[in-house]
Amino acid sequence: MSSSHASPSPSEVRRLLASRKIERVVVLGANGTMGYGSAALFTQAVPSVTFLARTKAKAEEGLAAAIKQVRSPTVASRSEVGDYENDLESAVERADLVFEALTEDFAIKKQMFDRVEKARRDDAIVATVTSGLSINELADGRGDSFRRHFLGLHFFNPPNVIVGTELIAGRDTDPELVDFVEAFSRTRLGREMVRTADTPAFAGNRVGFKVLNEAAQMAETLGPVLVDRIVGPYTGRALTPLATIDLVGWDIHRAIVDNVFEKTNDEAHDTLRLPDFMAGLMDRGVLGDKTGGGFFKRDGKTRLALDIGSGDYKALSEVPVPDMAYVDSIAGLYAQGRYREGMAAFLAAEGQEARLARKVVAGYLSYAFHRVGEVADEIGAIDRIMGMGFNWAPPSVLVDVMGPKAAVEMIGEAGLPVPEALVSAAKSGEPKRFFGHPHINIGRFFVAG
Amino acid sequence: MAAHSEVYVLGGYQTDFGRNWTKENKHFSALMRESVLGALERCDIAPEEVESAHVGNFAAELYCMQGHLGAFFTEVHPAFSGLPTSRHEAACASGSIALLAASSEIEAGRYDLQAVVGIEQMKTVSAAEGGAYLGTAAWYAEEADGIEFPFPKLFGRLGDEYDRRYGLKDEHLAEISKINYANAKLNPNAQTRTWYMNKEHALCRTEDNPAVGGRIRIADCSQVTDGAVCVFLASRAYAEKYARGMGRKLEEIPRIKGWGHNTARLRFADKVAESRDDEYVLPHVRSTITSAMKRAGIEDVSGIDGIETHDCFTTSEYMAIDHFGITAPGESWKAVEEGWLEIDGKHPINPSGGLIGAGHPVGATGTRQLLDAYLQVTGQAGDYQVEGAKNFQTLNIGGSGTTSVSFVLGV
Repeated sequence: MSSSHASPSPSEVRRLLASRKIERVVVLGANGTMGYGSAALFTQAVPSVTFLARTKAKAEEGLAAAIKQVRSPTVASRSEVGDYENDLESAVERADLVFEALTEDFAIKKQMFDRVEKARRDDAIVATVTSGLSINELADGRGDSFRRHFLGLHFFNPPNVIVGTELIAGRDTDPELVDFVEAFSRTRLGREMVRTADTPAFAGNRVGFKVLNEAAQMAETLGPVLVDRIVGPYTGRALTPLATIDLVGWDIHRAIVDNVFEKTNDEAHDTLRLPDFMAGLMDRGVLGDKTGGGFFKRDGKTRLALDIGSGDYKALSEVPVPDMAYVDSIAGLYAQGRYREGMAAFLAAEGQEARLARKVVAGYLSYAFHRVGEVADEIGAIDRIMGMGFNWAPPSVLVDVMGPKAAVEMIGEAGLPVPEALVSAAKSGEPKRFFGHPHINIGRFFVAG
Repeated sequence: MAAHSEVYVLGGYQTDFGRNWTKENKHFSALMRESVLGALERCDIAPEEVESAHVGNFAAELYCMQGHLGAFFTEVHPAFSGLPTSRHEAACASGSIALLAASSEIEAGRYDLQAVVGIEQMKTVSAAEGGAYLGTAAWYAEEADGIEFPFPKLFGRLGDEYDRRYGLKDEHLAEISKINYANAKLNPNAQTRTWYMNKEHALCRTEDNPAVGGRIRIADCSQVTDGAVCVFLASRAYAEKYARGMGRKLEEIPRIKGWGHNTARLRFADKVAESRDDEYVLPHVRSTITSAMKRAGIEDVSGIDGIETHDCFTTSEYMAIDHFGITAPGESWKAVEEGWLEIDGKHPINPSGGLIGAGHPVGATGTRQLLDAYLQVTGQAGDYQVEGAKNFQTLNIGGSGTTSVSFVLGV
């Protein structure tokens, strides 16, 4: 894990940018969603990007998707296509950056890195977009030069929309190179860069999918409509949790939570267990939006919701939902920019639904603060990836807006472990600000809906 | 006329211009609230200290069905109830007009600390409807009624006039667009900081970059933006007290050293007819710039370390280049080709990304320019800092070169 990381000065950024050139990028797996999305992103700042895939036709498909995604003819004019068999070595030997976006399979990546290692120039950077595999394990057994130039560069999907990006250095990655990739990605690709440790699912997915999965677990008894109403925008997110899982894809959700469940054993382990009903429905081909439906689907203009018991769908209007007037009054306060007042109303709201909502938020805060020192050096890194990768109110923002004392009470009421940092802030009585990113407007996370 | 301006700028706060407040389901008042509370906190000023407020806004009546915007300032904090407030309008120069009003009240000795808020929420309506609203900054009945997107067409004609008098190549306009977008990537509050853009894209002449008004294409245009910027202006007495409290010297607090303000005739055709025999296409804009320099005791643009100018379209920045005197009239292309406009160039223009890159919430632009000038001369502009900047000049324009306001801010 990197040490605590302050922003470099403008002159340091300029020095770093001048220290090497990224003029040729090779993207491996350029037909996949992350492959073509990342390749498209690179074309805005890099004169030559090579899309490689198993076949040239697949690479062409990736290029077509990239052009469609960013709607610029410069994607085509700056890009070449090729296949692994004929073009990999010739492309890699000229590349300044090799960007790996293959399927999330250790053996497949390893095999490809064997070829990349042989063909690459000694100074070429090799980055992987993996969201699930270990950077150190991927680098294990490779030569010194490869290990020094290898790192994780985890864009979120779709990269042209979501700017939060995780940067994961391996044990042997050259620190100067990490600084360079950060400066380049931030100033040339418009990324919000967050350094995380090489831990399962890194920082964003570790914390984010814990909350998403807990919502999925709640859906088993409450049903998806009520869950997305309870954990709605007023709890600090633009998109509700189950709609998010549908968008991401149930298979991706499963891959991430299974991976974290298997490789970690933290205080919230049970919330990372995939609900059985999801596994059952996936066997029947339900994967979310990409298969036409998940927790929700559309029938023309009608939005339908999954009935988990039967596996059938019902119009949302036919699903009874209890009266939750407190949500509307919070939204009304947010609409006028009165976020503190809105959060106070949330903490004071009565009823089962409000209590459940506070339990989810408490779980998020407790889990995020307990991951400091494990997935990242400081809560600020987790804050930024939750804010700019998930578009959720960062944990520190919620604590600041409700106040540490109220946060401690809420977490305690939910029966969850209270993070030490919050306990001491609540005790000291001194006003303390947890969120330390003056350029991120906290108001954007309090969606009035 | 005051021989020596004594209006100090204590800093301020800009909302993230990338936000869409309609999508957040937020009311206009939330935008004002965030900018003012943000500025109080950033500048470490207690709300009770503020004596008066001026709001710059173009068309909230149209975009938000809301007038009487000065009164909304009192909603931000209980301490503001009862304060004298007002609203100022001069199309895209509204923010600067509010600054002028506030600074003249300080010069008159009426108040010591003023809040100036520039604000516009524009994403409440479709692009076409918004385009028609913006048409009211021209002589609507004569120049905009029944015309789709009238302003790109008017500023396309500015390019045509340059072309007629001196020759103009589109690739120079594309380069201006590219620099603004590239600078915006360095500005964490810029609307387009994550957008896909490069020079080839700006130059492309396909459906990905369609024409919207003569030679003006999408990449030549500033943005439709929601945003607010609040800055604090202070008298010398207050600035002295403030500097002491912050452990700084008065000389470190930037001062509005000079200002310029002119209004030309409304219709573009009349402006061009008036300047027929002038070497400058928009001589009143030139006069605004030079009078601000003169009041600041600065002889010419060599005494200015950087510029935040009104690039509502690439043609308006092209015009600004020679009007600032960076090149001889008609030779703005030279500055483009020589790389003088880049952040580390001889005459940096719009290190923030300008209206094209940072965004153009109409009524907020003048205050945004002054805040960026403040950040530059106090060395707080982060990645888009012009190294060692001591004097920055702004140019804010309403209509088709109609109302122009310029400030020289320096330490």
